Amino acid sequence: MISTFIRHELKAFWRSKNTGKSVAIRVVMGILILYLLINVLIVGFLLDKILEGVFPNEDLVKSFCGIILIYFLFDLLMRLQLQELPTLRVQPYLHLPIKRNSLVRYLALSAVLSMFNLWPFILFLPFVFKIVVTDLGILVSLAFVAAIIGLTVFNNYLALYIKRRSNLNGWIFLMAAAVLILITTCDFKWHLYSLRDISYSFFGQLTKTPALAVIPFALGVVMYYFNFLYLKRNLYLEELTAHKVKIYKSSTDIPFLSRFGAVGDLVANEIKLVLRNKRSRSSLIMGLFFMFYGLIFYTNSHYGEGFKVFVGMFMTGIFIINYGQFMFSWQASHFDGLLVGKISFTDFLKAKYLLFTVVSTVAFLLTTPYVYFGWRVLMIHFIMYLWNIGINTTMVLFFANRNFKRIDLSKGASFNWEGVGATQLLLSFPLILAPYLIYGPFAIFKHPDIGLALLAAIAIIFILTRTFWIKQLEADFNTKRYQIAEGFRNK
Amino acid sequence: MIEIKNLKKVYNGVTVVDVPHLEIRKGESVGLVGNNGAGKTTLFRMILDLIRPDSGQVLSNGEVVAGHENWKSYTASYLDEGFLIDYLTPEEYLYFIGGLHQQSRAQVDETLAKLGDFFNDEILNRGKYIRDLSKGNQCKVGVASCLLQNPQLLMLDEPFANIDPSTQFRLKNMLKEVNRNQGVTSIVSSHDLNHITDVCDRILLMEKGIIIKDIATGSSTLNELEDYFGVGQTVASVKIDEEENH
Repeated sequence: MISTFIRHELKAFWRSKNTGKSVAIRVVMGILILYLLINVLIVGFLLDKILEGVFPNEDLVKSFCGIILIYFLFDLLMRLQLQELPTLRVQPYLHLPIKRNSLVRYLALSAVLSMFNLWPFILFLPFVFKIVVTDLGILVSLAFVAAIIGLTVFNNYLALYIKRRSNLNGWIFLMAAAVLILITTCDFKWHLYSLRDISYSFFGQLTKTPALAVIPFALGVVMYYFNFLYLKRNLYLEELTAHKVKIYKSSTDIPFLSRFGAVGDLVANEIKLVLRNKRSRSSLIMGLFFMFYGLIFYTNSHYGEGFKVFVGMFMTGIFIINYGQFMFSWQASHFDGLLVGKISFTDFLKAKYLLFTVVSTVAFLLTTPYVYFGWRVLMIHFIMYLWNIGINTTMVLFFANRNFKRIDLSKGASFNWEGVGATQLLLSFPLILAPYLIYGPFAIFKHPDIGLALLAAIAIIFILTRTFWIKQLEADFNTKRYQIAEGFRNK
Repeated sequence: MIEIKNLKKVYNGVTVVDVPHLEIRKGESVGLVGNNGAGKTTLFRMILDLIRPDSGQVLSNGEVVAGHENWKSYTASYLDEGFLIDYLTPEEYLYFIGGLHQQSRAQVDETLAKLGDFFNDEILNRGKYIRDLSKGNQCKVGVASCLLQNPQLLMLDEPFANIDPSTQFRLKNMLKEVNRNQGVTSIVSSHDLNHITDVCDRILLMEKGIIIKDIATGSSTLNELEDYFGVGQTVASVKIDEEENH
């Protein structure tokens, strides 16, 4: 039976929309994942050098023992955030004559097949084989491997258990996160105890009595069994689904927008779209993180002014880039309704411009504290803000007319490749290159001010001629509307 | 109201719709029947300018539908959930649709108050987004949004499919009402032959993209349709049906 499940699972993976149909996307995806893996592998191989650098006065094995538990603590935090529940897929089997035990066993076992379970091995095993084997012998290193396996399995199932419980009660997730944060701050901030010492006191013992590896291993097994029992008791659809607890959803108004009439209504709808759906929400939150981008570059004096142009564009326009690159796919699920409704496409486009302008203005206001690094920084930000609402918006919408891929809004954003196509790759070139083509030559010949002025002038011209661009985009859209609607209908 | 000329749509070499000529006059209520894959939805989509026909055109009030937007102001339609903005609450969605037709919230509320029976307390003020409603309740929201628009042309694709029996009867009465009292032209497709012959005074029967029958509904229409769809059924079973009806 299990082998049938596995075959179905493989089919589900290769045939899913997220995997991406075109070869190009699979190649890019493969390269990205490989790149990530290699990065971690390099860290794993250089772990001894890194530890030497961080704790120069300590024994290598001792400092290694010290970080293991800390790593697994952060691992748990990451899992709680990102690891997906392998659940809903059992739905088609629940009513068939299949033993519950084998279903549950499959559900529980398949949870091991997660990328998260790979990281600790790539990270720690090179060190174990390089240093521990030579210093302490085969037996001890096998004990380390067993302990790492045990802790990985333990973490895996603990995270899933917490996630499953929090599906039924949202507070559990918050409590678990709070406990984890408390544990870490108690150490790093208040120094009540040292996680490194605790970690060392166990793994240090392990080097002397390898048999202790049984403890983490047993913990892992117990946690697995715990999960198994919990799943078996709760094998009901509503408890398996990844939906959060239903709370009362109230209707909301955005009064500021109502003065814009139909355009304002469309913007209000789109703001609700962003806030009420997982994937779009995370693209907004990503944007908020980008507000700290400046701290990386401005605090380091050897980045020149060219970087400020780049950073300024990203900080004030990250939403345009991040969210806009998938336009109009966000609305794919009701695009037919929009086409048939009494909405002129001019209004539809005006709404996009208004949305981008509003969000970029907020982003610009959020970046004003960077005035700390000088008024010139603020000026560059302002120029790039104009550039964003003048040129980048138009550019993004031009490419939106060429995007035919549907997005399922309810799916999360991490490792979600749905809706990604050549359009996004093509879009990134003009977005990143255009300001440099104008600013760059002047900067090279030591006239950056002229470059900046030119950027501002072009941006303002584009803003003033918006109506013209909207007409162009509309004409362009009308040649592609059937293709777009067709693509969005393809589930 | 609607005129179709030489309309044709081909997917991968298979003709899914082929209508040389069809005219639907103002105030008519037309029922579209046919087995799965007969081309009903494709025809609907072409009338609504969602799909580009391979040849021919659809005229609404004498104006070609493709490339024009005037028809949108008097046409209301609900084909599937893809017409609903599913992350809005039903209220938000209905106010939005009303707003597109320059209706104030009070006006929308007034129309919705009349739909109280139809909604059966399952739609408004339930604290749910449209995506959390059942398919039947989503259909109710779609139909309500159509009526809200005070259309001259109403198009519904299988509206009876997911709704409960009470709602089916209410919907039938509503369709008859808007057709007779307000003169709304309606095109409705359905697999339920009883409902469709009850509601519509003209039936179009489609098979493999072609309209093979165009009949004015009379007392024998239902039997005629049952004969067509009951391919290969024995006479005996029909007799049992009759006995049950008594």
